[in-house]
This record gives sequence, C-alpha cells and structure tokens, in this order.
Amino acid sequence: MTSAVMVEEKVVYERPESLADVATHYCPGCTHGIAHRIVAEVLDELGVRDRTIGVSPVGCAVLAYKYFNTDGAEAAHGRAPAMATGIKRVMPDHVVFTYQGDGDLAAIGIAEIIHAATRGENITTIFVNNAIYGMTGGQMAPTTLIGQETTSSPGGRSQTLTGFPVRMAELMAGITGSAYIARRSLHNVKEINTAKRAIKTAFLAQLNGLGFSMVELLSTCPTNWKVSPAEALAWVESDMVPYYPLGDYKVAEEVKPLMKRR
Amino acid sequence: MREFIDGAEAIVRGALDAGCDFFAGYPITPATPILLHMVRELPKIDGVAIQAEDEIASMGFCIGAAMTGCRVLTATSGPGISLYSENIGLAIMGEVPLVIINVQRMGPSTGGATTTAQGDIQFMRWGMSGGYPVIVLSPTNVLECYSLTRRAFNLAERFRVPVFLATDKETVATRTTVNISAYEQVPVRERTLTAAEAEFIPYHVAQPDEVPPMSPYGGPHVVRFTSSSHNERGYLTKNPADVEGLNRHLVAKIDEHVDEITLVMTDIQPGAETLIVSYGLTARAALEAAELARAAGHAVSTLVIYSLWPVPEAAIRAALDGVRRVLVAELNLGQYRREIERLVRDDQQVIGVHRVDGQLISPHDILQKGELL
Ligand SMILES: Cc1ncc(C[n+]2csc(CCOP(=O)(O)OP(=O)(O)O)c2C)c(N)n1
Ligand code: SF4
Repeated sequence: MTSAVMVEEKVVYERPESLADVATHYCPGCTHGIAHRIVAEVLDELGVRDRTIGVSPVGCAVLAYKYFNTDGAEAAHGRAPAMATGIKRVMPDHVVFTYQGDGDLAAIGIAEIIHAATRGENITTIFVNNAIYGMTGGQMAPTTLIGQETTSSPGGRSQTLTGFPVRMAELMAGITGSAYIARRSLHNVKEINTAKRAIKTAFLAQLNGLGFSMVELLSTCPTNWKVSPAEALAWVESDMVPYYPLGDYKVAEEVKPLMKRR
Repeated sequence: MREFIDGAEAIVRGALDAGCDFFAGYPITPATPILLHMVRELPKIDGVAIQAEDEIASMGFCIGAAMTGCRVLTATSGPGISLYSENIGLAIMGEVPLVIINVQRMGPSTGGATTTAQGDIQFMRWGMSGGYPVIVLSPTNVLECYSLTRRAFNLAERFRVPVFLATDKETVATRTTVNISAYEQVPVRERTLTAAEAEFIPYHVAQPDEVPPMSPYGGPHVVRFTSSSHNERGYLTKNPADVEGLNRHLVAKIDEHVDEITLVMTDIQPGAETLIVSYGLTARAALEAAELARAAGHAVSTLVIYSLWPVPEAAIRAALDGVRRVLVAELNLGQYRREIERLVRDDQQVIGVHRVDGQLISPHDILQKGELL
C-alpha cells in the first residue's frame, strides 16, 4: 500500500495575463517572442493591462496587437508613434506604447519617433533592433552593420553606398523631451532580466508623466541572418553589442528615483 | 533560346535594355525582387542603385537623378505609391521623365501584401493633387513586362512625364517559360536636349502640346527647377496667363497625342454581340474565356487595353462598334468600367466582372457573368 504524500505545488512560471493565449507566427529562435513576454510581465506587474493600448508596426510584429492582451492597433509602416500620440493626447490616463522594428522606426518612421520625443510625448516605445528587415525577406535595415550581408546589400553593407548603421538610443537621448532612453539585449538570461527592468522603468516614466521613453532591444533574426538560433544569439553578443553598446543613454532626474525603488 | 523567368526579371531586363542607369526604391512585397535585381545589376554597368529610407526619399532620389540626365526607374506597391504621390506631383510639375513600376497588391492600406489586385487603376491616374495626367501601361504577361517597360522609358522621354507600369503580384512573381527571341525590341528613344550653343529656356513651348527639350544639371546651361507654378523660364509666378499656359500645356502634351500612346489588342469577330474588355493579368482569363465561348458557338470579340491612361477612347469606341453588350473584367469593383461606361451608346449594356476576394478572375467567372456557358 502506498501512502499519498501531499506536496503543495507553487506556480513559478505562467503566461502573463497581458499576453494572449495564442500561438505566435514568429520563427523558431526569434527573440521577438521574448520581447513580447517581458513587456507583458511588466504590464502585469504594474497592474495596467486593462488601461493599456499597444500600437504595432508593419514588420514581423505586425500581429503584436493580437498577442498582447490589451487594446491594440496596427499603424501604417513607421507611423505607430503618430497614432499613439493621438490616443495618448485624448486619454492621458491610459498607458500607450508602440512596438516597432528597425525598418519601421529607424527608416521610414524616423521622423515620427523623433518628433514624438521632441514633443515629450508621454508614451513608451519598445524598439526591436535585429539589424535587418525580417518581414519582407531580409533586406538591409538602417541598423545593418557594415559588411553585413543582406538580400539588398549583396557582398555586405557598404558605407560608401549606404552609409553607417544608425544608433537610435544615442540619437533619441539627445532629444530634450526624452525622459528615459536605454539599450538592452535579449541574447542571454541575464540581459533579458536587465531588459525587463529597463522596460519597467520606461513604463514607470510614462505612469509618472515624465515624457517620452524608449527601450531599444538587440534582437535576433535567425531566419534572415541564415544562422541557427544559437549562432544568432552569439552574433548579437559578438557583433551587435560592440557597435550598439548596452546601457542607459538618458535618465531624466525625475526618472532616477523610479529606478531605485525596486 | 528559352528561359524560365518571372515578370520582375523581365522588367529589369527591359529597363537595362532601355538604358536605365539609376534606380532607387524601398523594400515592399511584392515589388522587392525588382529592387534586389537592380542592386545587383546596375553597379555592373556603372549605374546607381540605392535603397532609400522610405518611398518619399526614393522618389526624391529619382527626380534628382533624372534631372542630371539619368534614365530612372523605381518600383513599389500600393502603400509605396501613396508615399510617392507628393513627389510624383513634383515630377509632373517639373516635367521629369521617370518610370514607376507598380506591382499591385490588395488594398486599402497594407491590405494583402501577397494578394494580387488591380485596385490602383484610378489611383495611379488621379492620386496627385491637381489632377494632371500621367501615362499608365499594363502588361498581361512576362514578355510584355519586358516590352512595355522599354516603351515606358520611351514615353517618359517623349512626353517628359512619369510613366507607370501597372503590374501585379502574380505577373511579377510567377515564373514562366519565355522564348528570348520573342522579346519585342523597341528602339531606344534618347532624351531631347537643347543644343549647347542655343539659349535654354527650360519650359518654353511654341504650342501647348509641345514638349520642351531638356538640359541636364552640370551641362552647358543653368538649369532651374521648381515645384511651384512657373513661367517658361522656370520662375515661380502667379501671372494668370503664365499659370494657365503651364497647366493647359501639362494636359495638352498628353491629351493631344493619345494616338502615339495608344496600345490595345482587338480581336473582332464578325457578328459578335459581346465584347470582353480587360487589361493586365485579367486579360489572360478574358482571352481564354473568349476562346471557350467561341468553341461553344458564341461570337465574341475581345479588347485588351495596354495603355490604360490616357484612355484610348478612339480604339475603345472602334471596338464597341456593333456590339450589344460589354463585359469588363478587372480585379477591383469597377474602376476601369467607369471609363468604358462613359464611352458606350445608350443601347449598349456594360456588365462588370469583378473580384475583390483575393482570388483571380477565372475564364469561367467571365463566361458565367456573360451567360456564355
Ligand atoms: C509604405 C510601406 N512601405 C513598405 C512596406 C513594406 N514593409 C513591410 S515590413 C517592412 C520592414 C520590416 O522590417 P523591420 O521594421 O526591421 O521589422 P522586422 O520585420 O525585422 O521585425 C517593410 C519595408 C510597407 N508595408 N509600407
Ligand atoms: S523573420 Fe526574423 S524577425 Fe521575423 S519572425 Fe522570423 S526570425 Fe523573427
């Protein structure tokens, strides 16, 4: 006869409420999914899910409005900050964020993001920098590294033909209306945890009405980089991080106490 | 020799054979393959191909390059045409020759990135402020992607105007076997230039329908260019006579030469009461439908329109002669049907065959709608 031993089970990991219970279309090994997860965890922790509106880009995250369990919209390519502005101006008590790729934010949408910051627009932007256009099949992005091979930079990106990769966090940090600007990476667990803390700071800045906040996340695109997911993570660390150093680029005085509190 | 290519490759080859030496564009499905080919091919002939930060900039690059004397191409799809609009207006105003490939996908907005459509037919013609004309050609297959691209370059030079090639996702992205010798060789029309010794009055024309010769930046003359209403010297003006002269000229240079632009294919059957009108990809279903109808004993005539804008009214009227009803097949809800409707007689009936569900119009759809089964 066996005797049953009662063990109290403790939930240590579950789907955040802010993440819809659906399968995503992201490729295996793509870190878009991780970015979604940590944003959703932060929205849960801040208890703002039911008053959050997310604006998706045109890019691989085109369906983010379906994956976040919040109100959502998909804007035209590059225009998410403009649509977010309209929403936030009318509903300042709501939490409004954009989620954008590097083509969406740093190419076609660079005017919108810069002007959102210059206005000190009280929104949060999650900027996924994977150094390539994922959705349209691996063309060169403004963030593509010199020498990086893409379908539209055969033989590697040439600085004479197409210039230099744009460092958005540094650029946005120079704008007075920016309250919190950081760059993080998703290539290992430690960095993911750091990224999550930065995302929380960014949303806290918004909740405290401090102005524009953006977290740039170095992310992978194994499909269009044509490498395995593991190699993709290694490439982020070996090639992207040196050109795109991680860290906080702008922390407004009023944001500092928000970072200490945790 | 036979080869297995798609419309994108045929367009690129047509452009290169037409002397194209500048390309600028921004990735967008389903037009991206043209960008990718140009990025590979143009450097080989010392041309420039560059991916811009967006479509607004792409069209700006194109206008600048065209004014230096380059033969310029760009390629995009619906959302990109929306962003080109402002600068296409500039190209119309400054009379800049350039060729725009529109690989149509389903709209509005992002619509269906990989779904074929013919939804930009009125948009290409009327999508710019002011309503001044452009030229729009539409190929029905891969071979015509080649020949009409070549023709588009020539028309751009002849009329100093943006010329669209209205293609679609299926035609550009589907591979087919073509016989290389079947490519129609259209002679290259060189740009008309002002002689170095002659005085250069950039927009001087003796008659409204004339097209002024150009002079490139960096050439023998001082060249000025403005987006504003201007006089013949290219200076901004509000003088009513100058403004009216300019605007009437922009229309007359196209409208009074429709016969030079007109390109249609008619197949008139004796005694036919039905005419099937179509263009682009859908024309292939229309021609097949006509064959099937004839095999079933119905006399049916067909009209395929390659030059959509300016509307080849004389050719359409000629094809309409004698028929009782007209079937217009197109992948939209009747955009070109409007043009046909204004040309028919009161006793002629126009029936639209339309689809906007992302599927192609089949020969069967046309036969069914036309009660020709
Ligand atoms: C006006 C316009 N131009 C081009 C496109 C095509 N397009 C869709 S997504 C995209 C870029 C996607 O890359 P990115 O923003 O880096 O996001 P990722 O897919 O890598 O996550 C482009 C160019 C479009 N939808 N609209
Ligand atoms: S294409 Fe790249 S960015 Fe897009 S889902 Fe796949 S791996 Fe991720």
